[in-house]
Amino acid sequence: MLEARELTKCFASLPAVKDVSFCLAPGQVLGCLGPNGSGKSTTVKMLTGLLEPTRGRVLFNGEDIQKDLVSYRKCLGYVPEEANLYPYLSGREYLEMVGILRGMPRSRLEGKIDTLLDLFSLHSHRHSSIASYSKGMRQRILLIAALMDNPEVLIFDEPLSGLDVISALVLKNLIKTLGQQARAIFYCSHVLEVVEQVCSHLLILRKGNVIACDTTAAIQKNIEHRSLERTFMHLVEEVDAEKITRDIVSVMNAA
Amino acid sequence: MTSSFMSSLRQDWGVHAQRPFFRLVRLFVDRIFHGSGGEAGGEDLDFSLGLVLAILALPGGFYSIFLFDKYSSLLEWIRGQHNFDPLAAALPDEYFFIVLSMVVTGTVAVWRWDSIFPDRRDYANLVPLPISTRIIFLANLAAIVFLTLVLALDVNAASAMLFPLVVSGSQQALGYVAQFAAIHAMVIVLASIFSFFAVFATVGVLMFSLPYTVFRRISLYLRGLIIVCLLTLLSTSFAVPSLVDRLPRTPHSPIRFLPSVWFLGLCQTLRGEADPSLAMLGRIAILGSLCVIFVAIAAYALSYRRCFTRIPENLDITPETNRWYSSWPFSVLDLTVLRSPFQRAGYRFAMRTLLRSEHHGLVLGGFLSLGIVIASQVLFFTFNGKIDDAGRVPSAALLSIPFILSYCILVGLRFVFDIPTELRANWIFRLSLDKTVHECIPLARKVLLTFVLPWVFAAVFPVSAYLWGWTAALLHTALITIWSALLAGILLVRFRKVPFACSYPPFRDSAIVVVLSYILGFLAFVVLTSRLEYWALLDPALMLLFVPIIFGTWYGLHRFQQETVDIDKQLIFEEKQSIAFEVLDLDRWS
Repeated sequence: MLEARELTKCFASLPAVKDVSFCLAPGQVLGCLGPNGSGKSTTVKMLTGLLEPTRGRVLFNGEDIQKDLVSYRKCLGYVPEEANLYPYLSGREYLEMVGILRGMPRSRLEGKIDTLLDLFSLHSHRHSSIASYSKGMRQRILLIAALMDNPEVLIFDEPLSGLDVISALVLKNLIKTLGQQARAIFYCSHVLEVVEQVCSHLLILRKGNVIACDTTAAIQKNIEHRSLERTFMHLVEEVDAEKITRDIVSVMNAA
Repeated sequence: MTSSFMSSLRQDWGVHAQRPFFRLVRLFVDRIFHGSGGEAGGEDLDFSLGLVLAILALPGGFYSIFLFDKYSSLLEWIRGQHNFDPLAAALPDEYFFIVLSMVVTGTVAVWRWDSIFPDRRDYANLVPLPISTRIIFLANLAAIVFLTLVLALDVNAASAMLFPLVVSGSQQALGYVAQFAAIHAMVIVLASIFSFFAVFATVGVLMFSLPYTVFRRISLYLRGLIIVCLLTLLSTSFAVPSLVDRLPRTPHSPIRFLPSVWFLGLCQTLRGEADPSLAMLGRIAILGSLCVIFVAIAAYALSYRRCFTRIPENLDITPETNRWYSSWPFSVLDLTVLRSPFQRAGYRFAMRTLLRSEHHGLVLGGFLSLGIVIASQVLFFTFNGKIDDAGRVPSAALLSIPFILSYCILVGLRFVFDIPTELRANWIFRLSLDKTVHECIPLARKVLLTFVLPWVFAAVFPVSAYLWGWTAALLHTALITIWSALLAGILLVRFRKVPFACSYPPFRDSAIVVVLSYILGFLAFVVLTSRLEYWALLDPALMLLFVPIIFGTWYGLHRFQQETVDIDKQLIFEEKQSIAFEVLDLDRWS
């Protein structure tokens, strides 16, 4: 369904992402992992069409998404890393605007918004301006906006950011369920435990390069580590966390 | 029949309003009005649309009402002016309305500068949706055009109705009144549109021609410069009408380069009162308006393509800035005047906010621009002989120039201290400061004087010494320094917040009182002081007059501070409206 072919993006001639390739089939939940600066956000932006690759292509059902971005985005639900919403709109007004811009019929839109607001525990705050929302509430608005048009492809960039325990649990179950319903899901996160729980496949990036791309089980089996955290640390090999911890403590204790 | 037509019209509009394009236009209209910076915490002043529109329409309305006195036929008869020609007398007022409409509209355009173009938030919210960037472009353009028209109509609504009635009220023919009103309305609305699009074109051309980071850096200074230009334009309303009268005899007069004069030419041409030179300026007004609109839209299209579509790339590049140069003045001040850790930290925070926050810089720039315009007017009138400047002793007008600048800077700074920056970040002050023991007044005073004393010593003293000798220079410099310190003290009475770290004070309740006190303060600080100084220079014995004034003010401030109850000295982070009724809770004491 969604395929990245040798994606490369350079900023001021410096490559942020180099030759990233992977396939995301319906029913797959592909987790994208990597330390800061590894190129996760740039990859996500290229997948959503927000950034045009310097080289390579993103194919949706075999077609380059850049040829018809509007049609591609009709099938795409995207939760960005930062909840950058219009603070003077109410939650309901924002969702209504997104629905109209997505071309959803009015009759379907009204019902869906109210039901989803209720299910995400935002119904009582639906008429308050977004400026008064907490980080978690804004995140839930973003989730509703991504889900309400029933997209075929979902791209989540740190979707659990700011969510409370219950909402996070609901979202994890939801991602698994949507995966089972043949949606293609790209899930970008730093939280290894969640990725381990919800993702069927893994893409691990380091300094803009793919260092592993396979099923979660296969990657763990190859590295022979039981936990994803150990596997990730083994693959990334960037830091010695224990040494850094010791150094920080010694700086703190220094006179 | 009519009701069915209206209901079908409403239904049609309802259908249109639900289309993506119209929803986007509505979004952009809201965004331009609300601004792009207002995040959680409500740091933008929450004005309603109706209130803003009413405020913008007020100046024209008030000025028209004041003109009743000038044009009243009864009063003219009482004054014995039987050959009063209202049309000829209306020229200066017509010019003033043109200038006013241009200044108000231009100021609004500068105020909303950052909201005119789609920004990162728009990109993040709209681009992932299934709408093309072309639609976003067109919707934003439609929103800009719509708001320009609303603004132009609103700013001029009151004057367009009242001024023609005032001027031609004594005329019998209704057609005459209608014609006068139509021409007046058309010209001032066109002047407003010209002004808005001129600012818009400036933003667009610069965005297109400069690298984005350079544009962001100069944006603040450019906005300040435009404000200065607009205020200068406003100040031309006193001098230009008499120069327009002489235009046929002086066809190369520099006033022909003023856009406001072009529109006056257009107005006179439409009324059939224009001489050839004014008629030519009228044609320039129409051509100029078309050119500005064309340039604005072309620049908008090009800069949209260049900037908006590249927003994600800009997000991923964070250029490093080398700020080593800014640390040594702080080190010097740490060793000399900043006595405590709070003052050192607070001073750095305040100075960096003032120098880096566009919002604060713009407001302060507005006050400074006002000072520059008033000072330049005084200078202009002094050298044109309208204010007497005879003899060795400098005139009171010349002496007043540094006082004007100092007053505007100090009042402007005090005003911007009340404008919060990123309220969500003030938790660090809440967490680390003791509410009862704080040094907010000394800190704020040092920041205020930092913006005055350096130029007083570096520029005013040497220039005064060169022009009027050492004695006058010493007195002048000492007086500005002491007066500025006293004014800082007065402005900081009951000040008990970290600058920029407290929510907005309730401006709406006290706006008129604040404006009146600023005007009275100006009269006392500038006009009265410069006059006293002038007399003191003529007769040095009068210098003794300053001693009781200085000590009296200092003692009054000192006593006031001492007598303030402790609860009113406590550090605050939220300004609350004073409530009409308060429960005394007397049970607590029984």
